[in-house]
Amino acid sequence: MKKQKLLIAVSIALALAPMAGAQSVNFKEYKLKNGLRVILAEDHSAPTYSIAVTYNAGSRDERKGRTGFAHLFEHMMFQGSENVGKGEHLIIVENNGGNVNGNTTSERTQYFETLPANQIDLGLFIEADRMRSLAITQANLDNQRATVQEERRERVDNQPYGRTFEEIYNLAFDNFANQHSTIGSMEDLSAASVKDVSDFFRTYYAPNNAVLTIVGDFNSAEMLRKIEKYFVDIPPQTPPPAPNVDEPKQTAEKRKTIEDPLVQLPRLDIVFKIPPGNTPDSYALDYLSDVLTRGQSSRLYLKMVKEKELVTGVSCGLDGLRRGPGLFWCSLNLRPGKDPAEVEKALYEELDKLKSDPITDAEVEKEKMAVRRAQAEQLQSTLGRATTVGEFAVFYNDPALINTYGTKLLATTKAQMQQAAKTYLIPTNRTVVLTVPKRAQEDK
Amino acid sequence: MPGRLHLLALLIFTIAAPALSQKAPTADDKSTDRSEIVRKNLAPVSKDVLKVKLPRATEAALSNGMTVLIIEDHRLPLVSMQLNISASGPIFEPAGTPGLASLTAAMLREGTKTRTSAQIAEETAQLGATVGASSSFGSSSTVISASGLSDNLDKWLALANDILLNPTFPADEMNRLKARMKVGLTQQRSSPGFLLGERFSRAVYGDHPAATISATPASIDAMTPEMLRKWHDDKYTPQNAILGIAGDVKAADLVPKLEKWFAGWKKTDLKEVLPPNPKALPARKVYLVDRPGSVQTSLMMGNISIDRRDPEYLPFTVMTHVLGGGAAARLFVNLREEKGYTYGAYSSFTSLKYPGPWRAYADVRTEVTDGAMAEFVKEIERMGSQRIPETEVEEAKRSLVASFALGLEDTSTALNYAIISKIYGYPPDYWDNYPTRIMAIASEDLQRLAKKYLSVDSMQIVAVGDAAKIKSVMEKYGPVEVYKADGTRVGNN
Repeated sequence: MKKQKLLIAVSIALALAPMAGAQSVNFKEYKLKNGLRVILAEDHSAPTYSIAVTYNAGSRDERKGRTGFAHLFEHMMFQGSENVGKGEHLIIVENNGGNVNGNTTSERTQYFETLPANQIDLGLFIEADRMRSLAITQANLDNQRATVQEERRERVDNQPYGRTFEEIYNLAFDNFANQHSTIGSMEDLSAASVKDVSDFFRTYYAPNNAVLTIVGDFNSAEMLRKIEKYFVDIPPQTPPPAPNVDEPKQTAEKRKTIEDPLVQLPRLDIVFKIPPGNTPDSYALDYLSDVLTRGQSSRLYLKMVKEKELVTGVSCGLDGLRRGPGLFWCSLNLRPGKDPAEVEKALYEELDKLKSDPITDAEVEKEKMAVRRAQAEQLQSTLGRATTVGEFAVFYNDPALINTYGTKLLATTKAQMQQAAKTYLIPTNRTVVLTVPKRAQEDK
Repeated sequence: MPGRLHLLALLIFTIAAPALSQKAPTADDKSTDRSEIVRKNLAPVSKDVLKVKLPRATEAALSNGMTVLIIEDHRLPLVSMQLNISASGPIFEPAGTPGLASLTAAMLREGTKTRTSAQIAEETAQLGATVGASSSFGSSSTVISASGLSDNLDKWLALANDILLNPTFPADEMNRLKARMKVGLTQQRSSPGFLLGERFSRAVYGDHPAATISATPASIDAMTPEMLRKWHDDKYTPQNAILGIAGDVKAADLVPKLEKWFAGWKKTDLKEVLPPNPKALPARKVYLVDRPGSVQTSLMMGNISIDRRDPEYLPFTVMTHVLGGGAAARLFVNLREEKGYTYGAYSSFTSLKYPGPWRAYADVRTEVTDGAMAEFVKEIERMGSQRIPETEVEEAKRSLVASFALGLEDTSTALNYAIISKIYGYPPDYWDNYPTRIMAIASEDLQRLAKKYLSVDSMQIVAVGDAAKIKSVMEKYGPVEVYKADGTRVGNN
């Protein structure tokens, strides 16, 4: 449950982004001598604070034969360091009333805690200690490999449609950096060695490859003094090279049907290759995805769920923000007995309307209100702000994007949206994966 | 905007999440090398627990009998509201009509005397608001919730008011909704979590209505607009309703408006009368839901314990926390951190107006089902048979009390506390005294409770997994009743 809550917090934070003039996140930036970038945002409205360390290391940095490594490494970061015992991070934070977690995506790895405001030193200490002196042992590696393999079983292999994601990335992308899954394969996880872990730590977990963000109830000057004390003596390393995440232009539709013994009903996933996040086209497509599927007055909900009764649910959106090419992703849960071809056709008709006609004024109004609300709501959680600012700093060197994302989104013109639909939401740029039950369910 | 795609949950992999399980090492199980947690206690920690005072709600009674609770919080231009209507939840449904309460709630948004379903959706989005209603299985209430910006509060609150008071249950919309719900009934049977919850509720609640956690295709088919209308008219009553509002509002201005808006909602004689309480079962039983091809076994075990008003509620909370309240608790440390059987093992308990079960649970890989069961039994037994060390008790209490501060980031947490106080009739200073009362709980209290409730000899055990591989394992704990994923029992096993 805790995990779910955190994921939601992260998604909502991304979904919000204030406009000029409205409430915004006021932050100050610093850089330590060792290259650690520090971003502080004071907010005294509750006696709490959140700390996030965002490392510029994700599954896109993995090489062949070592998929799942960035995430396996994330687990190693909870196995102890010079002054923090194995597994002690989770325990010490929870026992002092806080929340703690970490997660890994293709783009970055984050570690974060929310704590009562009288525990400022605790968060800084544990993050600095593991950045400086991670305990890398064979026993810890074996143990965490088992946990990660269990995570894979629980969240991928044992879930309906669990394997669908891997199939889509593998098929839609051509570059290995984008193609393989963050959780990795069982084989590669088994092959990871202690030397791999040590090398990865030295290269990617250096202060100059990380951003420290802290949001909440503290005094910035005092906080900065403490940060100096805990972090400044951690040596920098030669920065790792940025991975090549380029994708060749797609020239023909790709298509695959997979059988899943754990599902009861078919699902269609239709994805289009799109440009990196924080670009005009990316904003246009993000906006269009809202027009298509945000809420029960959205186009696809009204047309496909209610009017034609083809699907029980449909959602379209960007597959997160990326620095390289990403995906515009539509997922449709089919009603029993519906022909997937008919469902596809209905979706494409709606996508074509985005090309032929501008969106309506009412749709613009709804987007404005959604952004207004989101930007107010993002100020509730210190954690959401800390993690989002960290990502924007690492991805685009622009922590202020938390205050301007909504403005940029709303600045998209109707013509830009039409053009983006014409450029990207086209047959030759799409990948279609149909997941079907493996065998007829006798017990139906 | 990015990140909203709910599918993304699967693309982010994280250090900790809930699950369940255990086992003894076997030859094919290389990952069970013991790997002990190490407590160095070198991190700088403030010994003080931050004292926080939750905002107290302003209370008002409307002339139709409604109770209103308002928490003013002007930090942000946001408001959220929650209307809790007692005596209207699924536990009061007539036999054979599972889904009546939840379908009625879901249909509120599908048409009123002056608005169509599409108009309600469009207007809500134009206002940037959220309006919804639900009535969860096992609950005694229906909850209508709405939230949005404070500068157009009057508009979206009027909309929420309209769906509450003037729903028309149009037949065409209802047929569509029924069809969608029936697909959902099929889909949920592919989820191991649903199958586990379904069988566990049946096992522990027995004849109590909370045993049911889902409608059936037949019960949905049988629902008519007239049935929903009658349920709405009979059960949605102001004298049983608590309206909580939190955020950027002024109580003094709002109460007169509420009085006016809700004037059309008339008091009735309906009082909430609960069904007879469920009782703890005296003997252990084992249930297995066959899910061929499952690579994990989902395990859950427990038994009926106490209700929310029980004087033992707070000690029970601490006891459950020690056993499986999080990453510092015994089940997680043993089954995940030391044995590597699972991604997470936890315990919790349900405690409402009637007694609900305590439970321990995890998803474990199929091969270690045996070892996982053994560790669960060991940990549950140890709670009652051995004194819980003072340090462990202190840490659990501190964790519960210190986490209070985090609830202040979002006013809706304080609102929830205020509503809970009202529902269960707690004194006004209940939450102010909560930390002191938690800190006063002693190790003996926990052990006494564990002996009384956490019995491995009477607990009900449910496993969802590949029967061909785990049935013989589960038989070690008693005769096994086997079910298919569709909920029907297999043969006379």
